[in-house]
Amino acid sequence: MSFAEKILHADMDAFFVEVERRRQASLRGRPVVVGGAGRRGVVAAASYEARAYGIHSAMPMSRARSACPHLVIVPPDHDHYSDVSAEVFAIFSSFTPQVEGLSLDEAFLDISGLRRHYSDPAEVGRTLRKKIRHELDLPVSVGIAANKLVAKLASEAAKPDGLRHVPASETLSFLHPLPVRAISGVGEATHAALEALGVTTVGELAEIDPELLGWRLGRAAGTHLAALARGQDERAVVSDRQTKSVSVSETYEFDLRTPAQIDTELLRLCDRLGARLRRADLGGHTIAVTVRYSNFETVVRQTTRRSVVTSSHDLFAAARELRSQFDWSRPVRLLGIAVRALSEAGDSGQMRTDSDPRWEVVSRAITNVRERFGEDSVGPARVVMRKDI
Amino acid sequence: MKIRGERDDLADIFSRANRAVAARSALPVLQGLLCEASGGVLTVTGTDLEVTVTTSGPVEVMEEGRAVVPGRLLAESVRKMPPGVVTMSVGGGDAEIQGKGPRFTLRTLTLDDFPNLDMSPVDGVEVDGEELVNGLNQVVVASSSDSARPILTGVLFEPSDEGLRLVATDSYRLSVRDLPGMGSIGSGLVPARGLRELARTIGGPKVQAGMASREAVFSSDRGSLRLRLIEGSFPKYRSLLPESYPAQVLMEKEALLEALGRVTLVAEDHIPVRLKIGNGGVEVNVTRQDVGGEVEHLDAEFVGPEEILIAFNPRYLSDGVSVIAGDKVRIRMIDSLKASVLDDGGDGGFLYLLMPVRI
Repeated sequence: MSFAEKILHADMDAFFVEVERRRQASLRGRPVVVGGAGRRGVVAAASYEARAYGIHSAMPMSRARSACPHLVIVPPDHDHYSDVSAEVFAIFSSFTPQVEGLSLDEAFLDISGLRRHYSDPAEVGRTLRKKIRHELDLPVSVGIAANKLVAKLASEAAKPDGLRHVPASETLSFLHPLPVRAISGVGEATHAALEALGVTTVGELAEIDPELLGWRLGRAAGTHLAALARGQDERAVVSDRQTKSVSVSETYEFDLRTPAQIDTELLRLCDRLGARLRRADLGGHTIAVTVRYSNFETVVRQTTRRSVVTSSHDLFAAARELRSQFDWSRPVRLLGIAVRALSEAGDSGQMRTDSDPRWEVVSRAITNVRERFGEDSVGPARVVMRKDI
Repeated sequence: MKIRGERDDLADIFSRANRAVAARSALPVLQGLLCEASGGVLTVTGTDLEVTVTTSGPVEVMEEGRAVVPGRLLAESVRKMPPGVVTMSVGGGDAEIQGKGPRFTLRTLTLDDFPNLDMSPVDGVEVDGEELVNGLNQVVVASSSDSARPILTGVLFEPSDEGLRLVATDSYRLSVRDLPGMGSIGSGLVPARGLRELARTIGGPKVQAGMASREAVFSSDRGSLRLRLIEGSFPKYRSLLPESYPAQVLMEKEALLEALGRVTLVAEDHIPVRLKIGNGGVEVNVTRQDVGGEVEHLDAEFVGPEEILIAFNPRYLSDGVSVIAGDKVRIRMIDSLKASVLDDGGDGGFLYLLMPVRI
């Protein structure tokens, strides 16, 4: 199966509202907006129940209130939203490093590199949606298409909480019935000019002579719009960062409750992360442990070492050191471990009193055995044994 | 409150107490010094809640009282007065510092906000202050300043057969000092940051030292230094000390320090210095791809089966060499990947273990 549709647009549904609903279950199913309740407050985000009353973001709160008298207004907590956003983006990045964030709750992903791991592009979208729902308990709409323009329109069409895959061959039939207003870059002025030309849908826009369009809208804008109307958009996904961290995490089907379980799982994650670091020939100075409790509260603690940490053994030593900074009496839903402040392994050979260089030899040997005999062929005893029980 | 005293006496009392005051603090009142005047004595306390310094001295007390005054400003304004008598009077939210001519007005901080510190005396033992300070100076260099690993920011006080053993490590080096006859001070993990202040705050020929349940307390006729103990267990350091060394080299301490001084011109912190150690002496060598390098030869007495090439972080190496007491440095080695141990070649009761850099 080819991956002709390589752009995925992910857009969190009513992001601020859904994040608040995670904290307050009583908000579910009710018309809710997040925004300032004061005289000059505006709606920052509206739930779909609220949108049914015609409420939309940027609407003055007073108008929203008169449109829906029993509207629930939640004051915004932007620090929290950006924390959760970071978690959403961490999930995006676990699929591909090619992530271009558009805002806190929206991003383009270039998924062309995933063709070997997924049967078709829609499968990527389904997995992403499932992962965000499972790990963060949040809805997201996903559009997948041959380019950014169509992917974004596809996710719009998928809302709420849906997936729309527009095969490359169906780009035009998807695009042409849409109103021209749907195309980004068509604002009030352009819209009026197009209306004067009798253009209301993208299909009609595609029919117009580009010369005429250029004359009415200016050459650059005209050419640009004409290309978009024909479904042509060559903009690439520009990822905002290079690899700054490598991480692994796992959401558990059943919450972890005992220190022994947590220890074993940390060891397993360190083993996996160590293997990834060795494959990329990377190491890092900062080790961070993430714990998400069953109520989705997430706590991250980190420690920084002068020498580069590469081996699973040293990762585990650092993770254990951080253990005392978490509350383990609460059920744990997700564990994660990340290495930050990356550098090429071995650039600082400063040895430590509390780590044995022989562990690196062991790590390499394990990597070699696994390459030859498979991932499950060898591993830490506690981790390997768990599978048989 | 109103007091009068010689500028130099007051400046000394304020500035020593102010050494405990952190440059920044979450609690504004901790930027202040608690000043208490009564019975002909001025007592001044500064604290960051981990390190607490109390100093005192006889002054003329015209009106007894207490106040909290911004520490750095108070110490500096008194120090910068013309020589002679300085008066400090507090009232109506201001402290007035009056010298011969200049007069400062400083807003005071809220007295009630100042933390209630446990100042109860502790049974200590009297020890030679200079010996204690010298011993501490030898070990604190190996302590860490990384607050993420608080245990490594302390110095372990541990009674031993030799007396008192002081140990510090940041996991790249380890410093051990035995102080005969001081074992009864007690045991605890004491913040190195505070110990560094011992000499400059209350140091003197005789120091009382002892451990309370949560604090190490040092005092002299100049005041007291109270350090909150660090909780947690110190790394098991004994197993790190090698039992035998196949190779060792003995050289002049000053010559090695000067060589390392030249090395650090080229090498920044992360560039290792390479030592080629053999019968001909020690070749010290540093190269940096984009900058250049330096190489030199040092005379040394070598004993060992074969030449050793070993590399160290230059700063860690010179830290260790510079705190060795005698004129000589001995480096005992196993191989280029195992810990080396530096000392004075005799039994000076001190050793500095250093992990090499892999090259």
